[in-house]
Formats: sequence, structure tokens, C-alpha cells
Amino acid sequence: MPDEPKLPWVVSLSQMLVRGAAPLVPVEQREDWLREWHAEIWHRWQFLFHTGGWNQREKLLLFRNALGAFADAAWLMASQDSVRSRISGIARSPFTCLAAFALILSMIASLSSGLQATREMLFRQMPNKAGKLTFIWLHHPLGGGDRGLPADVVPAWEQGSKLLNGVAGMEVRHDQVSWNGRVLPDDPLVIAASPSLFKVLGVKADAGQFPAEAGVVLDHRAWTALTHRKAGVVGTDVKIGRHAYRVSAILPASFEFLSRQPTIYVIEKLTYERKAFVVARVKPDVSDQKLRKELSRIASEVTAYFNLQNQMRFSTWREALLSPLVSFVPATLLAAIFACFTLRTSFKQMKRAFEPENRRVAARRTFFFIAKTGLALACVFVGCLEWSRSESSVLLASRDPGSGPFLLWLYVLGTMGVVFWSVADQRARCRVCMRLMAFPVRIGSPGCLLLDWSGTELFCSEGHGLLHVPTMTPSWDEDADRWISLDDSWKGLFLHDK
Amino acid sequence: MSDTTKLSHTAALILQTVDHGCSYGFDIMDETGLPSGTVYPALRRMEKEGLISSQWEAEKKALAEQRPARKYYRVTRAGAQVLEQAQKRYPLLGKLSQKSRR
Repeated sequence: MPDEPKLPWVVSLSQMLVRGAAPLVPVEQREDWLREWHAEIWHRWQFLFHTGGWNQREKLLLFRNALGAFADAAWLMASQDSVRSRISGIARSPFTCLAAFALILSMIASLSSGLQATREMLFRQMPNKAGKLTFIWLHHPLGGGDRGLPADVVPAWEQGSKLLNGVAGMEVRHDQVSWNGRVLPDDPLVIAASPSLFKVLGVKADAGQFPAEAGVVLDHRAWTALTHRKAGVVGTDVKIGRHAYRVSAILPASFEFLSRQPTIYVIEKLTYERKAFVVARVKPDVSDQKLRKELSRIASEVTAYFNLQNQMRFSTWREALLSPLVSFVPATLLAAIFACFTLRTSFKQMKRAFEPENRRVAARRTFFFIAKTGLALACVFVGCLEWSRSESSVLLASRDPGSGPFLLWLYVLGTMGVVFWSVADQRARCRVCMRLMAFPVRIGSPGCLLLDWSGTELFCSEGHGLLHVPTMTPSWDEDADRWISLDDSWKGLFLHDK
Repeated sequence: MSDTTKLSHTAALILQTVDHGCSYGFDIMDETGLPSGTVYPALRRMEKEGLISSQWEAEKKALAEQRPARKYYRVTRAGAQVLEQAQKRYPLLGKLSQKSRR
């Protein structure tokens, strides 16, 4: 062939890639596999070269297809029995179970900027005299759901209460915000608040002055995102939704109130038809009962058409921050109690495994159960907290600021799932090495409960024993699972490549 | 095997392409538009399950043409049965088959 072209670098590179993937292929198939890939790449190039189709696009396509050699080689490797048994051995290992939860925790941490909400809950410093700050809102005793109070209670409390040093109402929403044509992404948090808000919070403006009646105050993050820190923004107009408002002040960088995201405060008089969440500064040494009594009395005088007595909720800053923990602990206890009743048979079986005939094994099993359950509960706690409080950590928190009980439901369902799964998983593990049992032989029908089964026999892949789960559990013998230990004479059956 | 094997849509498409005469891996990729990382593992699996068989072309012929020999794939009898079932299960695949045969 006189016009035989020189091997292009893309073809050489593709063949190099194939050679790079070859070690993954089982030795007995490797030569055949390499021949096939090299021949296909060569023919592809020759065909395109002689038909005039050898262009940049085809070069890229050839390179991309050569990368597929890795997938092909990996499939051949994974389809070997020894590799498959090793992979399933690793998957059944108790360390894999713990490592999986550790991985989930680290993934949650990386997705939530290093567990921002959890850190805030545990370590956030209180703002100046925050202990005296109290949030007040409505929560219907039957229907549930957090709602704001009729806004006319705010001036009534301001004038009539002798127990408060200041009070302000807030209405929280998301809206489109723009300045000089620049629009803030993802509709930031807009808080319509009464003029006394910043006085109640005890904060001073970084630039400008807080408006006495109406205007807009930008927090530091909103100022940065919207104007790239232009000091001249004070006195200009910012557009919120369809309306324009005059910017009056910028808050200091250290100030963080409801949200970690950019927040815009629209200062205006909240009229009676608006629903306001209230923040109040309570005088020292005022008891909750006294405060509740006085505020309820004044509120009922102003808004006689509302029965506020049983609906008002009070929470200090610290209580608001720690409310996830307050939800999580009872949710876990509830799940544990529920599990104790419904899974009492499983607990009995687990107890048998912890009996002192082999203390070391029992201790290892107990440790594994505690570690696994603890890690799974930590994943639920942190995951739900970070997801629901991505915006804010205090009272009006959660994904939608105003639906506080949402987190409690997440915790109830999450902890219930963890406890039930943890017990079911423990039952399905070898009593000695704690690997998940293998080779299930179904001799009955699927159980009627989630994660349950009936009529099954399973072996430990290392040959430690056999677990017999009967088809029907007789009422006189609820403790019917049978663990049959296998002695060394059975070992030969379970020899496999390590 | 043919009674129990159920193919995914992608695997059935590859099997049908082989049945239509595309015998080489890269030809199948051209015809189906699927990447090599999908086509080759599918071919290996179907070969393992006896739906297709592979063979090297005669070395002499390739040598005479100064090129490396290629491995080609053919649908087995069991594979043809499974393909027929797959075409019934995936009507679009069956239509595609009729269209390309016309």
C-alpha cells in the first residue's frame, strides 16, 4: 500500500488507552480483548481516512469510544465469580455499613457548607442581651402550623404592656429584588417589619440611618450581592416585586437575624390585616406565665374576634435555636418505644445473641448495634436539620419560614425508619462476625411488615452458622428464629478466595 | 435460556442491530448511537448468555489485505427467539425493525 498514512496521534492515544485498561481484563481473555479493540480502532480510522470522513469530530469520537474500553474491561473484571464474591463480601461487612453512614454524613456536611445549621445550633453566640429576646407567634392547637398574629397587636403591646422594653412585628416572604437593573438570584428573603425592629434587636446601622416610618434596610450579604458593596446605595431606590423603595441603611456584617441568606428589610407600618410574627424584648425577671397573661389580655382586647389565648406560642432566642434538639429527642424516644412494642420478638432474638456464653462476641454485637444506630440517627438529625434550616436557624426557620413543625415530622419518620431498619438489619447478620447473612432460601412467603420476611434460611458466608426463620411464628413461641452454630467440620463448604 | 432472558430496551436494540447485519462493535455504535462503554459490556453479557456468538475472521484473508483481523458477532438461534419476544414487548423496536428491513 504506497499511500498508507502514518498512524495519527489520536489513534495511537486511543490504543494507549486500551492498553491502559487491559490490566483490568482477566488474564485468559486479555490477549483476545486487546486484539479486538486494536483492530476496531484501526479499521475505524482506515475506513474514515479512505472515505474522506477523518475530521476533528471523528477524532474526538474515536477518543471517546476508546475511553469505553475501561467500562468494557471493568465489566469483564466484575463478571468474574471471584471478584463478585469479594464485592458481595465487602458489601456484607459490618465495616461497610458503618463506612456508608460515615460517607453519608460527610456528603451532608459537604452539601451544607460544613453543617452550617448544626454548628449554628450548637455554637452560635447570642446577640447582645439576646436572652431577653422572645419570639411570639400563633400555632393552632388542633390544626397545627405556625402563623403570624394580627398585626394590630404589635402597637397595642408596645403601648399597653408594662413587661416589654420593645416589640416589633415581621412578615416574612420571598420576592424579586433588583437594584439598577441587577436582579438578586433565587428571590431572596424579604422581611416587612415595623420601624421598631432594629431598636428591639439592639443593632446599629453600618451606613445610613434606620427609617423612622418607611424605607428599606439591606443586610450585609444583600448589600454585597446586590450592589457589590457600593456605599452610594443609601438614598437610591431598590425594586421589590413591583414597588420601588428608598434604601435607608445597611446593616453591619456581624448582624445575622433570621436568615443566613441575603435579607432585605422593608420597614413600614404593619396594618391590622397583615399577619406578623413578633419579636419582643422582655424586661428582666419577668416570668413566662406573667408575660403570657398580660400579652394575651391586651391581644384579646384588640382583636376580640380571634381566640388567641390558646394559640400563642412564646420562645426565647436560645429555645428557638435548640428547638431541633427538643424535637429530635422525643421523636427518637417515640420511635424506640414504638419499636419495643412492635419488634419485641426481634429484641428477644437480639438479647439471646447478647447472652454471656461469649462475652467478646456479645460486646462486639452490642457495639456494632449502637454505632450503626447512632450513625444512622446522626445522619437523620443532621440531614433533616440542614435541609429544613438551609435558610435560617431560629424560630421562623425551616425550608419555608413559617412551617416550624415540618422538622418534627421529618424527625418522627426518620428516627422510626432508623430504629426499625437497625433492628431488622441486626437480625439479618451473623451472630459471630456480623456480616449480613447470605444465600437466602425462601421457604415461605414474604412478611407482611416492611423489612420483614418469613420462611427463610440464611447462611453466614464465612460458615459461622445458619439462621432459620420459620414460615409461621406460633403464638406460644414468639422467639422462634433459630440460630444454628456450625462447627469447624463445615468450614470446607465455605472456603473461598480471600 | 431463551424462555427466561429478558432484555432491556438498550440490549434489545443492540441485539436487533447485530441481527440486521452489523457484526462489529464500532458498526453497532454507529447504527445505534450508543457509546462503546454501553455496547461492549452488553455484547459480552449477551455472549455469556448465549444470545450471540463471536468469531474471528480468517487470519489469512486479513493478512492478505494487510490489516488486522476483526472479531464479528452473530445472533444465535436462542438470541433470535429472545429478540422476537423483545420486539413484542417493545413495539417501537419491532416497528424500527420493519422500517429498516423495507
